[in-house]
Amino acid sequence: MVALPKTAVQQGRIPDRVSTRATIHGDTVYDADVVIVGSGAGGATLAAELAECGLDVVMIEEGRYYTTRDFTADASGMIRQLYRDGGASMAIGDPPVLFQEGRAVGGSTVVNGGMSWRTPERILERWRREAGLANIEMRDMEAYFARVEKRINVRHQDPESIGHDNALLKQGADAKGWRVIPNLRNQVHCPGSNNCAFGCPTGAKQSALVSYVPRALHFGARLLSDVKVDKILMHGKRAIGVSGHVVGDDERRSHKIVVRAKLVVSACGAIQTPALLARSGIRTPSGQLGKNLSLHPNVKLVATFDEPVRGWEGVHQAYQVREFEGEGLLFAAVNIPPGVLAMTTNGRGAELGRLMADYDKMVVAGMLCEDTATGRVRTINGRPQAFYQLAQFDAEKLIRGVALLSELLFEAGARSIITPFAHVPALTSHDDTRTLYDRTIKRSQMEVVTVHMMGTAAMGQDRTRAVTDDHGFVHDADRLMVCDASLFPTPIGVNPMETIMALATRAAAHVLDNLSTYQG
Amino acid sequence: MTYEHDPLTRRVLESLVPVICPPEVMELGLGADIVDHVALTMSAVPPLFRKGLVLGLATYDVAALAWLPGRGRRAHQLPPELAERYYERWEHGLTPVGHELAKAVGQLIKLGCYEHPVMQERLGYRPQQWIEEVKRRRLTVYADDVRKAEAAILAPDPLRPPVKKAKERV
Repeated sequence: MVALPKTAVQQGRIPDRVSTRATIHGDTVYDADVVIVGSGAGGATLAAELAECGLDVVMIEEGRYYTTRDFTADASGMIRQLYRDGGASMAIGDPPVLFQEGRAVGGSTVVNGGMSWRTPERILERWRREAGLANIEMRDMEAYFARVEKRINVRHQDPESIGHDNALLKQGADAKGWRVIPNLRNQVHCPGSNNCAFGCPTGAKQSALVSYVPRALHFGARLLSDVKVDKILMHGKRAIGVSGHVVGDDERRSHKIVVRAKLVVSACGAIQTPALLARSGIRTPSGQLGKNLSLHPNVKLVATFDEPVRGWEGVHQAYQVREFEGEGLLFAAVNIPPGVLAMTTNGRGAELGRLMADYDKMVVAGMLCEDTATGRVRTINGRPQAFYQLAQFDAEKLIRGVALLSELLFEAGARSIITPFAHVPALTSHDDTRTLYDRTIKRSQMEVVTVHMMGTAAMGQDRTRAVTDDHGFVHDADRLMVCDASLFPTPIGVNPMETIMALATRAAAHVLDNLSTYQG
Repeated sequence: MTYEHDPLTRRVLESLVPVICPPEVMELGLGADIVDHVALTMSAVPPLFRKGLVLGLATYDVAALAWLPGRGRRAHQLPPELAERYYERWEHGLTPVGHELAKAVGQLIKLGCYEHPVMQERLGYRPQQWIEEVKRRRLTVYADDVRKAEAAILAPDPLRPPVKKAKERV
């Protein structure tokens, strides 16, 4: 007999203490100790930590409350439901960068790949040195990372969950003598359903939806889903709550919602947080709000092999190639459903048909680049719009990364490789990879995407250079805190979820240690 | 957001399906489904983007009137070979905006094409079957660990201060 999971969300029902548009029947005012806007890596973690210690916490999430049973392999259906703007958000620049944000209870942790890495020590050191952050070195952060890893069950994959696409990636890296490591992922015996980006249908991925959110609710937190926060309510420089509205059918504004609280936290990500603060009239002395946007530009290659690969059978990103970590490049294998893959390739008609006929023989390999340029988020008519110009240095790094990753894939037996560069013919040999260095590849030819937006309300000691202090409190505002990837002073070169969660845990400890500050 | 194509948008998209998708799509009679899928996708994108697409498709259609080989026909009225050539002109950048429009519309149609169950079946892509299989296996082989992990999510932390008057202190 198969045992069914117990938590409400995995049983397909919405837990008590969650209010949705179906259960909020009129304009409503709530009172709480802490109101947190966002229920993702930062918001849910902070909520759970504070609720466990007895604080009355209200989380507000613009997206819907989906349960594990709602998640299927219908990729485009899931994208429409779980991603903001149907996954079609774009940072304007050369090239334009397509980016994705989760919009559901659990935030982007519901749709991320489940990679759980500590902030690299060199990055923490850089934050200490450049942003003047105190108590941010690895020895200070160790306990927070450990606490998060325990909570979301950070582990290596069970071997049987690793599919052939990842095995080929490792084989190629091993043949090149490159450093390749098994990924650390937040999962409980993830069986490799390879649906991470569309919601985990097994409940194995320990997203905030199935870890920190239920924990927060268990310890008394409340959650309002389908509620969009319009602005933070201020009394002078003191944040006193938030106001918003229920998001009704067809995104219509429904009932008004006000939450009055003694501490207000914005945890809605590096794109939405600066917009929320700007909409609320928050001005920081540094003028840096919305600036300093970094986004780990990603590109992908599609390699076709002679043998069946069936990339959808096995876990997403079982390994990471870390050989070029020092240059800010990480490689991994990521399966993409056929519809999404087709839409990002250049062919059409019969040519597209020929390409896609080999779908089951493809390995899609992605690359993360630690960027050196920064963009910004402007708030236009209340909505955030990202602007980002890929630096020439980073563009060259992407070309080098594509050449290196192509070498790896040919070493593993690929017969042809489609690059992310328009007008560059498919590569068919090692020799072709070398020609990439000689070609003039303009930035506008690059197909760049990202899911890692960071830095738009950066922490720093110096109030004239940073938006928030060491713990995320907004400079020159009272009782207003940021708790998401906006806080990162620089890009971190690895997947950001665990860093966000660790910073949230650290921020919670700070709040609990200074409760008297928020009295009255 | 609920969105439905207006008749003109639908006609233009229908005329573009054979241009963008592999030939078997028309043989299998999937054109209308793909255009419906495009509507679903457009329902989720930002309103400004959606309006831009609708306006762009109307422009694409009308601009064909001035294209000499088209002999005064709108894009959705062009025979297959000319429809292909006309799209190609936009695809290769009559103007940057035209290029981006052709690209975006092409992407939406390609997404609809390969999200179609019939096309996925032809690729041998049966992810739901795989998901059900591994889900069952997980809950059979690792049932105890799964239960323990779920219990741990709700277990109080012995190192945390007890839940008591903290609420009042804030």
